[in-house]
Amino acid sequence: MSNYSELIKNFEKIRAYMRDFYVYGFKKRDDYSEKSTKSARSYDDERRRIESWLGDHMSFVRTPEGKNVFISIDSRTIRHNPFFNAWKAKSFTDGDITLHFIIFDILHEPSISRTVTEIMREIDEKYLSGFNKPMMFDESTIRKKLKEYCEAGIIESQKEGRRVYYRRAENTDVSDLEDLLHYFSEAVPCGAIGSFLLDKTESDTDTFTFKHHYITGAIDSGVMAALFTAMREKRAVTVSNLSRRRDLPRRNRIIPLRFFISVQSGRQHLIAYLPEYNHFQSYRVDYLSQVKLEDVTPRFDELRSELDRMQGKMWGVSVKRNKWGEDRLEHVEFTVKVDDGEDFIVKRLYREKRVGEIEMIDAHTYRFTADVYDSSEMVPWIRSFICRITDMKFSNRSQENKFKEDLDALYSMYGVREEDEA
Amino acid sequence: MIFSELYSAYYNTVAAIISRIIDGEHSEKELQMIVAERAFGESVLTIIPSLKNEKWQLVHHDMTTSLEHKPTMPLTTLQKQWLKAISLDPRFKLFDVKFPDLEGVEPLFTSEDYHVYDKYSDGDPFEDEEYIRQFKVILAAIRQGTQIKFEMVNRNGKTMYIRCHPIRLEYSEKDDKFRLVTAGWRAISTVNLSKIRACVHYTGPRELDGEEREAIYDTVTVRVLDERNALERFMLHFAHFEKQAEKLDKKNYLVRIKYDHNDESEMVIRILSFGPMVEVLGTDSFRNLIIQKLKKQRNCGLK
Repeated sequence: MSNYSELIKNFEKIRAYMRDFYVYGFKKRDDYSEKSTKSARSYDDERRRIESWLGDHMSFVRTPEGKNVFISIDSRTIRHNPFFNAWKAKSFTDGDITLHFIIFDILHEPSISRTVTEIMREIDEKYLSGFNKPMMFDESTIRKKLKEYCEAGIIESQKEGRRVYYRRAENTDVSDLEDLLHYFSEAVPCGAIGSFLLDKTESDTDTFTFKHHYITGAIDSGVMAALFTAMREKRAVTVSNLSRRRDLPRRNRIIPLRFFISVQSGRQHLIAYLPEYNHFQSYRVDYLSQVKLEDVTPRFDELRSELDRMQGKMWGVSVKRNKWGEDRLEHVEFTVKVDDGEDFIVKRLYREKRVGEIEMIDAHTYRFTADVYDSSEMVPWIRSFICRITDMKFSNRSQENKFKEDLDALYSMYGVREEDEA
Repeated sequence: MIFSELYSAYYNTVAAIISRIIDGEHSEKELQMIVAERAFGESVLTIIPSLKNEKWQLVHHDMTTSLEHKPTMPLTTLQKQWLKAISLDPRFKLFDVKFPDLEGVEPLFTSEDYHVYDKYSDGDPFEDEEYIRQFKVILAAIRQGTQIKFEMVNRNGKTMYIRCHPIRLEYSEKDDKFRLVTAGWRAISTVNLSKIRACVHYTGPRELDGEEREAIYDTVTVRVLDERNALERFMLHFAHFEKQAEKLDKKNYLVRIKYDHNDESEMVIRILSFGPMVEVLGTDSFRNLIIQKLKKQRNCGLK
């Protein structure tokens, strides 16, 4: 038996597994070990951990090639994102947990303050003396733990003369916030933190459910929280980026500006500025890791204003500018026919367009026009109007041709001939 | 730092165990129940044994403790920052709560820090006073298990008077709308919150029978051709459904997706948006819906 534990020290190791089990679900054990960096033992342990955290949400299927493990969840039927559990699986030492509960028992009210020496004495005399082999904590260990708790904001320190006194921070009552926490933990970024708060409320609320709910973003909460901190403090960061085109991540120094979150594709991007290349770039958040905060940058406000301006020309997350920082825009227009009683199509155009204009040509024809950085990002949306597209013009001719070729491919795939009547 | 033992299921479970011991519960079996309820699948093998064998020196082998107070922990700065962030969200006003004083706390993020770029623009009016009032009435009724009554104009422009049990609120991030799921109302089981008018608590004597209506599910089977990163895009796009995937060969994958029958039109559009990278194999009726759309398109005169 190995030293297996269902807790983990490093979240990064498990992040990719969870995503693969959830998003893909067809990979076998060998597929992971073939990627060389992951051993079969590692796969077994991570799978077992995820199973332990997610319970019934894990499924298995046997195929002739082997056993597939996957996470299958209809997120509409669950009340709380099960991936939050992964954030509650941090390992700790025997000393950590022992000290934690004893320190907060000593400092059980904000009015009580103690020096490190006093805390140490109480730990030895009152709390540990009754054990057969009492743990020994030296002063530096306790001091380090208190410092860590001061940084987390749960303990406060106060210097009086040469002595430093420690007391617990004021308690904050969140017992009235169950519904609020339930809703926002699923509906805004870094919802795992809301889930931590919900754990304090001692009741299970099931008031809300969620449709079109992408739960996989929860496993990126750590990276997002670090990058939000960088934005708040207007700092540059160094971050590792694993592109799907490369096997190893690359470290980049970037100025994070804003997250672009999709509620239709399940993707989250960071738009950042690369000072080295005078370039705005989007990064998939699930490929980012190891965020290290760097210096405060005086250019943050200016760059964010520039992003505000560019946002009106972004359909998705793509920004195309030349090396002098000039926009390179592509013109897109398409026309749809709207029959009597199909006002919902017009409504769709208005509510689904993110940029651009809609023009009524006649009672049954509407035209959408826009100038965007990347017309290819718009193609899936335009395809959703298939059955009523009467005309289209892309300044990027290859995109327009590709669209039409794809349409022809669809016709042959489904055996739709020119003379077929709908 | 988000990934910290301070928020861990183990710390929370041990806190609950110590609280029960302080309340006078010393039965190992009872305490093991707390582990089963609060921690992970295999935690029963670790938590009580670690306490009992003095690995974690908080509980003696006879399941008593030297701790005198039920464990509590103040909020971390990170938790306060997140709370502050949600207090700045327009939807915060929907909740009638006694919110802690967070003066001087910096929000973890603001609306300037993230942009949901593809949600629909006709979302609910979260800052409308009447909408907020009705939301609070409905939320309170769900919590209390009581009835509400309201008015609604149907598709034909006719005003309907409805009395029902509100069961839960379903929020769609894409639509940026809340829907109320009800029971005891025969005509419809779900209604958009923004269509509800004059909503009040019903305090009359008449009881309502009926449960929430069960969804009818269908399954669509597709073949995904993994070109232009289609597999990853498709699997992520449909990640929120219950689904099963299978590799057919180097480039082709079979995916079965279970969906609510009421969402069939939306599913057709979503699958079509992947173009020829995704082919519907079944059901026949679903495949026919795609074919009908393509036939219509072929007659649109697009050159």
